[in-house]
Amino acid sequence: MLELMLEKLMKHYKLFIMIPLIITGLSGLFIAFNGIDEGIDLKGGSIASLKLKEPINSSDLENLLKASFDSQGVIVNEIDVVSNRGTDVTVQIGTDLNSTVFENAIRNKGTIASYNSIGPVLSEEAMGQIYWAIGFAFLFMSIAVFIIFREPVPSFGVILGAFCDMVIALGGMSLFNIPLTIASIGGLLMLIAYSVDTDLLLTTRLLRRKEGTIISRAQDAMKTGLTMSLTAIAAMLVLYIVTIFLIPEASTLSNIAGVLTIGLIADIPKTWLMNLGILRWYMEWKK
Amino acid sequence: MKKRHIKEFVKDKRVMLLIILIMVSIASISVLGIQQGLDLKGGSLIQLKLEEPVDTETMNIVTNVLDKRLNLFGVQDVKVRPGGDQNVIIEMAGVSPEEVERLIGSPGKFEARIGNETAPVALTGADIQSVSMYEITDTQWMVPFQVTPSGAQKFAEMAKGLGGEKVYMFLDGNLIDKNPPQLSEELATGKPAVELSITGGGANVEEAQEQANQVYTVLKTGSLPVQISITGASTVSPELGDQFLNGAVIAGLLAILVITGMIFIRYRKAILALPIVITCVSEVVIVMGIASIIQWNIDLAAIAGLIASVGTGVDDQIIITDEVLVKQVSGEKNKKRRLTRVRMSVKNALFIILASAGTLIAAMLPLAYVGFARGASGIGTLAGFAFTTIIGVLVGVLITRPAYAKFVEVFLK
Repeated sequence: MLELMLEKLMKHYKLFIMIPLIITGLSGLFIAFNGIDEGIDLKGGSIASLKLKEPINSSDLENLLKASFDSQGVIVNEIDVVSNRGTDVTVQIGTDLNSTVFENAIRNKGTIASYNSIGPVLSEEAMGQIYWAIGFAFLFMSIAVFIIFREPVPSFGVILGAFCDMVIALGGMSLFNIPLTIASIGGLLMLIAYSVDTDLLLTTRLLRRKEGTIISRAQDAMKTGLTMSLTAIAAMLVLYIVTIFLIPEASTLSNIAGVLTIGLIADIPKTWLMNLGILRWYMEWKK
Repeated sequence: MKKRHIKEFVKDKRVMLLIILIMVSIASISVLGIQQGLDLKGGSLIQLKLEEPVDTETMNIVTNVLDKRLNLFGVQDVKVRPGGDQNVIIEMAGVSPEEVERLIGSPGKFEARIGNETAPVALTGADIQSVSMYEITDTQWMVPFQVTPSGAQKFAEMAKGLGGEKVYMFLDGNLIDKNPPQLSEELATGKPAVELSITGGGANVEEAQEQANQVYTVLKTGSLPVQISITGASTVSPELGDQFLNGAVIAGLLAILVITGMIFIRYRKAILALPIVITCVSEVVIVMGIASIIQWNIDLAAIAGLIASVGTGVDDQIIITDEVLVKQVSGEKNKKRRLTRVRMSVKNALFIILASAGTLIAAMLPLAYVGFARGASGIGTLAGFAFTTIIGVLVGVLITRPAYAKFVEVFLK
């Protein structure tokens, strides 16, 4: 079956190259229209996870907090209960608030399990660092890829592939409401590495190996590559699910795992439709 | 699996290296332990930003003053670290009370003026030589201190003949006591006195205690050379930290279990699934061992990095296995030629592995760099992620992968 599929793919490769590119374009459009939430580490503000003595419904809690902040003379523009699961509640606030003020507000209702407040200076700085880190990561990765292959077209294909994976992953974040945070940026950078991984395998097998037809080489590579991708997806999905159910407050883990799961799924069509197509095109042209 | 094979495998220097490193790691972990990050053991982290970038010397003064202040104030288990030339990061056990944040944020500039609030400065923090423990009577408090001879001289000249006038004392431009004390007659004679005191009153005993403690601490530790502001703070309770740790361990174990399951489904051979798991686990053990030797903090980000690097490790093992299996199918009867072929394919696989390790490290370097240059602020909080991933990949490429390749070479030929 795999062989038949590959034969078809090899015949209409130009068409198949378009599929991941179209998905990438659509993701870009979707991000432009839907936007991506920013976590408080990038837009500033406070987030608190609370352990309540007894459940309070979200709007009551919001009112209670607002009243208490007002009476303490603190102006807060945005109070938002992010999750409310019985006695475990997470509240996000639009301004960076001293934890003592918050503690006073819930004094008789429960305790603070974790508290994080980020001022505007820090969040702006982090935002700047993110562009910087992604830019350089991409640059370094590109240099490494060029050094490895020393052929412009395959190298370009690998780099384009990493770019597509990242855009699609960002689209997925927009779709599933995974916020853009420092942690999810970590996931995106890791995705660059995973994305290049499968392309390296494919490109090496196709261009460097001499025995067998292109189709049989591609088929071998695909078997290996799919095993790699599926194991990684399974591992990340497990990490995501366990985190969401067991430790929802540990957003570092769930953000990284969520981004990688989406990106790794996107990586499958990207590698085996687009990069395979590009390589096939390149080999034809070289002949 | 023949005995001869096992012997050949264990005697290989790559395998020996792996076994030795695992033992060293286990020993180091059990002796030195693993340092847990704040999000796992619970505690607070406060991020400060200086008004402007400073040189190392000034930064040292800043961190020293802050460290002294917090220690004097009775905050336990404090670590004050510079983050680059403009940031300071403070870690401490427990929750950070508001007073601590006020204490950190105040430059601690002391001034006293006699007569009215705009009179010339009679005494500054620089004139203070030493500070004695504060005394509290009811809601009134007093912090006695000794001034330098030149300070005493200056004060005496300014105070001459002003007995009964109010003494306005400021800390960072704010009046310490809204009802300023009067200058006693004996200080207004023009004769220098070395023993002076700052007094004030609170609404209740607790407030008096708090005020006295703050003034005492700030005077005692000197003033900060630059203005400092708090840019961020985070707190994790020890209970939640425990939950995080348990959750992360469960997630990690389940992830390894699922990986094993997937490998087994693909190859249907325990002889392949088992070594891959062992390789994964030994990678985790060695990375943890390295972390315990260099005292690297393991936090949630580091755990994510560990899982990610184990993930790429598994990818590599799949590549090695497939390279070898594909060649086996082509069926070579001659034993010697078969071994050469296996070796050739392992070499092919190692090319892909080295190349992908190289790109991964390249992609992680900017993140690790920010972490080291700027400390754990902003995106530097992910330094643990980047660094652990890089270490994990290096351990994989240099130690565990060659051992696995040897395993495949010996047992699959």
